[in-house]
Parts: sequence; C-alpha cells; structure tokens
Amino acid sequence: MADNLERAASLAISDLSIHFGGLKAVDNLSFTVYEKEIFGLIGPNGAGKTTVFNCITQFYKPNAGSVKFLANTGETVELVGRPVHTIIKLGLVRTFQNVEVIKELPLIDNVLIGAHTSFKASVFEQALTLPRARREERRFREKAMNALDILGISDRANMLAGGQPYGVLKRVELARAIVSDPKLIILDEPAAGLNESETETLSHTIKLLRDQIGCTILLVEHDMGLVMGICDRICAISFGKFLACGSPSEIQKNKLVQEAYLGEQQGGDD
Amino acid sequence: MDLTQAAGNPVYRFYKNPNVRFMFFGALLCLVPYLKDIGVFNAGMLITIGGAIIYSVAALGLNLLLGFAGLISLGVAGFVGLGAYATAYFTKDLGLAFWVAALGAIALATLIGLLVGLVSLRVSGLYLAIATLCVSEILLKTFESFDSITGGMTGKRAAYPTILGTTLTREGTYIMLVIVLVLLMMLTRNLVKGSFGRALHAMRGSEVAAQAMGVNLLKYRLLAFALSTAYAALAGALYVTFIRSSYPTTWTITLSLNILAVVVIGGFRSIYGTILGSFVAFIVPDLILKKLPVIGDVPGLAYIFNGVMIIIVIMFYPAGLIKLFSDARGLALRLVSGKARKAVN
Amino acid sequence: MSTFLQILLRSLETGGVYALAALAIIIVLRTSMVAHFAQGTMAMFSTYVVALLCSKRGFPLWQSLLIGVAVAVAMAFAVDFFIIRRAKRASAVSKEIITLGLIMVFLGLAPVVFGVDPQLMPKAIPHGGDFQFLGASISHNAFLNICIGLFFMGLLFFILQKTKLGLAVRVTASNEPIARLMGVSTRNITLLAWITAGILGLLSGVMIAPATTVTTTLMNPVQLNALFACVLGGFQTFYGPVLGAYIIGIGRNLLTYYVSSEWGEQLLYVLLLIFLLLRPNGLIGRKFIKKV
Repeated sequence: MADNLERAASLAISDLSIHFGGLKAVDNLSFTVYEKEIFGLIGPNGAGKTTVFNCITQFYKPNAGSVKFLANTGETVELVGRPVHTIIKLGLVRTFQNVEVIKELPLIDNVLIGAHTSFKASVFEQALTLPRARREERRFREKAMNALDILGISDRANMLAGGQPYGVLKRVELARAIVSDPKLIILDEPAAGLNESETETLSHTIKLLRDQIGCTILLVEHDMGLVMGICDRICAISFGKFLACGSPSEIQKNKLVQEAYLGEQQGGDD
Repeated sequence: MDLTQAAGNPVYRFYKNPNVRFMFFGALLCLVPYLKDIGVFNAGMLITIGGAIIYSVAALGLNLLLGFAGLISLGVAGFVGLGAYATAYFTKDLGLAFWVAALGAIALATLIGLLVGLVSLRVSGLYLAIATLCVSEILLKTFESFDSITGGMTGKRAAYPTILGTTLTREGTYIMLVIVLVLLMMLTRNLVKGSFGRALHAMRGSEVAAQAMGVNLLKYRLLAFALSTAYAALAGALYVTFIRSSYPTTWTITLSLNILAVVVIGGFRSIYGTILGSFVAFIVPDLILKKLPVIGDVPGLAYIFNGVMIIIVIMFYPAGLIKLFSDARGLALRLVSGKARKAVN
Repeated sequence: MSTFLQILLRSLETGGVYALAALAIIIVLRTSMVAHFAQGTMAMFSTYVVALLCSKRGFPLWQSLLIGVAVAVAMAFAVDFFIIRRAKRASAVSKEIITLGLIMVFLGLAPVVFGVDPQLMPKAIPHGGDFQFLGASISHNAFLNICIGLFFMGLLFFILQKTKLGLAVRVTASNEPIARLMGVSTRNITLLAWITAGILGLLSGVMIAPATTVTTTLMNPVQLNALFACVLGGFQTFYGPVLGAYIIGIGRNLLTYYVSSEWGEQLLYVLLLIFLLLRPNGLIGRKFIKKV
C-alpha cells in the first residue's frame, strides 16, 4: 500500500514500553495507523494487545515511548500523560473486551453516555431544565437514535440493557462510540462471543464506520477470518515485541508470525 | 389500559406528566393537617409525618450519592445537624430571614462537604464512608462543645419561619415542608434524567467505561457528594424551623444509619421509593410496632426493625419496597388476563 | 521527659487496643471483601456479656472471658453463615450496607438483652500496683494489656507467615477465586476470619472496658480509630493497620496532652484527613492497577 506514505498518520506509536514488576508486557513497540485505515493488531494469547490499547487510552501509564494522535482539532497531540477522561474529547474512543454497559438504563441512555463530553449545560441548568439543557438533550437523543439505527437496533432503544443478548450489547457499545464523533475507534475484540452471522454483520458495520462516518479503526481480534477479511494492514506482536507489519497476505506469509502462532493456532488459515 | 392508545390526548399527557404527579402527591400530603383537624390523627402524628418528610429530603440526597453514584456517606446526620444549628444561629442570633439563613446553612455545609470529598474521594468509595464517619464525629463534638453558638447540651432554640412578614403556624410550616419536598422531587428527577444522572450511572456501572466516555470521576463523585450534603443541610434547616429546637443527641450515627435505611428499604434510585422508605423507617415503628403486645415496649425496637429490614431488603429484594407496587401490578395483570382467558374458554 | 515517656507507655496500651480492632477489620476485609463496620458493635455485645457475668453473676473473670469468647464465636459464625456467605455475589457497597444494618440490630438488641444500666468491668489484676520505669509509671494492668496485645498480634502474624493455614489466608486475601481453584476452602477461611475478628474484638473490648463503664457506645472510639488505622496503614497489608493503630494511639495522647484536652482528638482526625490528601494509599499502601 504505497499510498500510505502520502496519508496522514492518525496514530503513531513509537518505542512504547510498559512493565509490571519484572514482566515486560510491551517492549519497545512502534507502529503507525494512517487515517481512514482499518488496522488490526494481532498476536497469540498474552502478547500484550490489550495492554497496548490501555497504554494508548491512558488507563495504563507507559514507562517509556510516545503515542501521537491526530486529534479532531487537526493538531497532532501526545497522549501519554493525559488524564483518561480527556482522551475522548480529542476524538479517540474505545470499546471493551467485556462489554461495559449499564444494566439499569435503556439502550438509548447507554448510547447517550458516549456524548457525555458534548453536553455543555451545567448541573444547575439540568436541574431546572433550562432551554439549553432541554435543547441538548433533544439533539443528542436524536443523534443516539440515529446511531442505534445505523447498527440496526433502534427498535430496542427504550429497553433496559440488562437482559439484552450479548450481540446487542456489543452493538450498543459501538453506537456509544459513534455518538462521540470519533476520528479513531479502538475495538477490543469486537467479535468475541459473537456467532458466525453476527460476525459477518460486524465486519460490514466496521467497514460502514470507516466509509460513512469516516473513522479510522484500530482493532484487536482473535477471529482471523474477520481480521484478514477487513483489515487494510495488520501489525503482529508477540510477548510485547514487534514481529511484523503489513498487508494481510504479507502477514500470513511471514515466518516470524507463523512461528509465534505455532502450537497455539495456525495463523491466518480461515 | 385504553389510555395507552391515547398518547396524543392532552388529558392523558397531563396525567402522565411526572411533575404533575409530584404536585398531586404533595397535595395528598397537604391533607394531613385537615385530617388532624377532623380528628383522624392527633397532633403528634403531624409532627411524626413532618419528620418523615424532612428525613426524606436528606434521604433523597443520600440516594443521589448511594443509589446513583454508588458511594456511602455515614455523615448524613452530622450535615443535617450542621444545617439545623447554622439556620438556628443565622435566624436567632443574627436575625436573618429564614430563607437567607437556610441558603447560608446549605452553602456552609456544601463547602465542608466539598473539602471532605476532595480528601477522600480520590481513592475508593470506602474512604468516603470512613472520612464522613470521622467528620460526623467532629461535627457532633462541635455541637456539644461550641456553647456560644450551639447552646451545647442544653440545645438550641429556633422559631417557625417568617415568610413575607407573616410567621407561619405549625400547620403552615408543615405545608412549607411539603412544598419544598415536591420541588426537590422535581429537581432531583430532572438531575438524574440528564447527562449528570447518566454520568453517575456510568460511574457506578463501570468506572473504566465511564472514564473512557469522558466522565471525570473525581468531579462527578464530588458533585454527587456536594449535592447530597446540600440536601442534608436543607433538611436540617427544615428540621430546626419545624421542631424549633436542636440537641446534639439527635445528630448521632444512629440517625445517619436510619437515613441509610430509608434509601435501602425504599429503593435505590427511586424518588417515590425514598419517600416510601422514609415513611416505613420513621413512621411504621412509631405507629404500628409500638402498639404490638410484648415486643412493643422494647426500647430499641425501631432501630432493630430498620436494621433487620436493611439486611433483608439488600439480600432478598434489592430493588426496595417500591418494587412491591410494580410487582403487585404485574401479578394483578397476570391474574386478570388469566381470568379473561378462562372466561373466553 | 518522664511525662513524655508516661504518655508513650499509655499510648502503647491504647494503640494495642486499636491494633487488635484494626487487625480484626483488615482480616475480614481481605478475606471476605466486606468492610466490617459492625466490628465495634459486635465487640461491644460480647464485652457486655463478660461484664455482666462478672459484676452481676459473680463469675470469675477467666470463666466470664471463656463464655464471652463462646458468644463472640457464635455471633461471628451466625453472621458469616446466615448473612455474609449468602450475600457473596452482592456488590461491595451492598456488603457495607449489610454490616451497617448489623450495627443497628446489635445496637438495638443490647439494651433488650443487657438492660440499660452501665456495667463495670473488673480489672485483670484487682489490686495491682505500678511499675516504675525511668521516672514514668505504668500500672500492672496496663502492662498486662500491652503484653496481651503484643502476644496475640505476634501469634497471629506467626500463623499468617509461618503456617499452612496462614498461607491459605494470605492466598485467599490476594485472590479469592484463584485460591478456591487451588483447593483452598475459602469458605472456611472466611468463617475463620470472622471468628478471629470476633475474638480480637472481645479482647479489645475487655482491655479498654475497665477504664470506663460498659455501655452501648463503649466501642465507638475504638471502631473509629481502628478504621482510621486501616486508612493510615493502607488496606493492602496486614501489618500496615497495626502500625497505623500505634501511631494513632501515640498521636492522640500527645495531642490531648500537649495541645488541647478537649479538641486533641478532633485535631488528630483533621490531621489524618490531611495525610490522606497527601498519601491517599496510606503509609504502606501502593497503587493498585486495575485490569481493564
């Protein structure tokens, strides 16, 4: 993919390292995700994929390295050292490996949480339902409804999240990510726990996110079929170390990657 | 049930409007003084119900904190007491109007609450419980020892409020309590239905997800705690102007636990539940248990009752007694439809 | 200097009492993940039994103590077996609420069972004199209390560090599900923790009671200081709270003597809150990294 060189980098990770006690979970890792790209991060179990995500979103504070992100303001900013809750405002949002939704709230309200930082009305204005608070609530509710519509679950908008099937909740997480107007969405094992047809729909949805909303996508996934099918480029890591980076076919042919997966699963065979 | 098809009907919308319902509920509570006049209740009952309304106010605040944000405060009584003493001092000693005094008391308590929250909320919820327990002790000690302002063990007196030049009677003050309660129910509902409420939900549900969605944990924990402190201080202001005195012995951990019982028994995150809980925790022991043979004379009966209720509700009916209503309706609907089916057959 | 030493010696006694109570709280917290707010109230209950047996029924102290231990064990067993075990899946907050409910139940029951009159607790050594030590004096009873406190703490730490049982407790404390998978009967460990807490509570109650009268509020200051000892020492280790307890015991006595007899204790609490602001995880505590 030669044209990558002309594209702007959405996320540039360089020399990232983090260790817990003596264990080096991520070791001197570098890779770059370009704008409007669907980028996969793969590796055998325990390779440190989720840890990389946590370092990007600042849940973990990396011991060394930098994470540069092209924010929605058009500037490239350093993420390392920023408080976790400020990341989403820059246009970077994530989903979780184990879906994290609020059971006691309807789906639509769960989605609205994604728009949290867009709400400008103060607590005081909310308590008195002053015009601005009402306007915002109406506007974002509409937007959340649209997001649910895109994911095909708007008919369940007013049902409580508790008791909804897993596949629906995964889509709620995606909808919640969409309403935050992201530039980059980080998906942590989006297909985990989904059946074949649900995974099929998911791959369409992910492409839709990129093509219609114009997001860059970075995902960790174990389902090799999904990863090879939708990713433009893939980075493979093992024990926190960089193995290879390239197109799906390049990764499939890569000796290092095959070795890393040997004994666990055959890398890349659908 | 035919009404459900009439969603566009203005009468139906009026009937379904939550604020209208709150006002209707308030109107019902306002009947109490008249029921007293025609002899259904005695005067003591008016004070008991007034007390339950006052504690509902504090419990609404605690429900914001405990039900929505999932944080425990054990200092509710201390802050209610602070509100009471401050209001009494501002009206009696400084000669301020009741509403000015009440606002001052709320501001003072909220400020202290913010400081305590700032200290304890950075780590985990358990720290808030311990810190508020300690602040409650400090406040209690202050009420006992700061004679010049609090009157020490002999207590502090206050008067019925004077509003627009007229001093209210006991019944008038009671009506004022109901009005404040209804206003607070509306405010609380608006708060929890908006982005503030969702942020609290998100925090309780999953701290990591909340942070990822841009919720500043410390800010929202602090806001929730400051609000609950403000509600507590308001309850104190209402207490001192309705009961017209305040003693240190009222503001102990006992009261904090009783208010906690209100929230748990009534139902987390339910506004009507909080009020139901307050009536169960503060009126049932007085009205019913004391009349029972043998155990009616037991001194700590109300306390044991509330303690047992807390444990039972948490373990077996965690949504609180307010769920009894929807459960009963569900059961009734099932029975009715079952009958209807039989009739068809 | 001798005054200072005197205060220090006395602090060893109160600090020891707080330390026993703090140990009780931390053992329960770490094994069954319950913040045991009712620790003090349950200790008050069993202490009342001892005091009542001694002063009203004329039992000798050691016999009353044995019965008191039996009552404490029975209470701990009942609470763990009937309530805590069944609420295992409840959230941390729900469990805290349960122990707060227990406070109400035991506090409400106490006057029903024991009457409303304050009771006197006899001293372990009825006509004990004082030891002289570098110009400071310490009563035989206080000395005995210090020794008993240290003995039981030493015994507990020996069991925790050197025995198989202690290992099981520590494994349960660090990761309950893994401990269960490794074949540790975490149910029994938890039950044992509650029983140990009950006995430690009774000990702390019996030690502090002769200095005052036995009423329903007997253990309130002990409970508060023990909770603070846990905050000060951090919740991650077993010895942190013990250290915190002695610091609080010393700090409290120094402040009440040198600063203000009336406000010294309140001042200590304020200082502790400020400490919390500077070091939120306590003296020994470390930041816990949550897995996302």
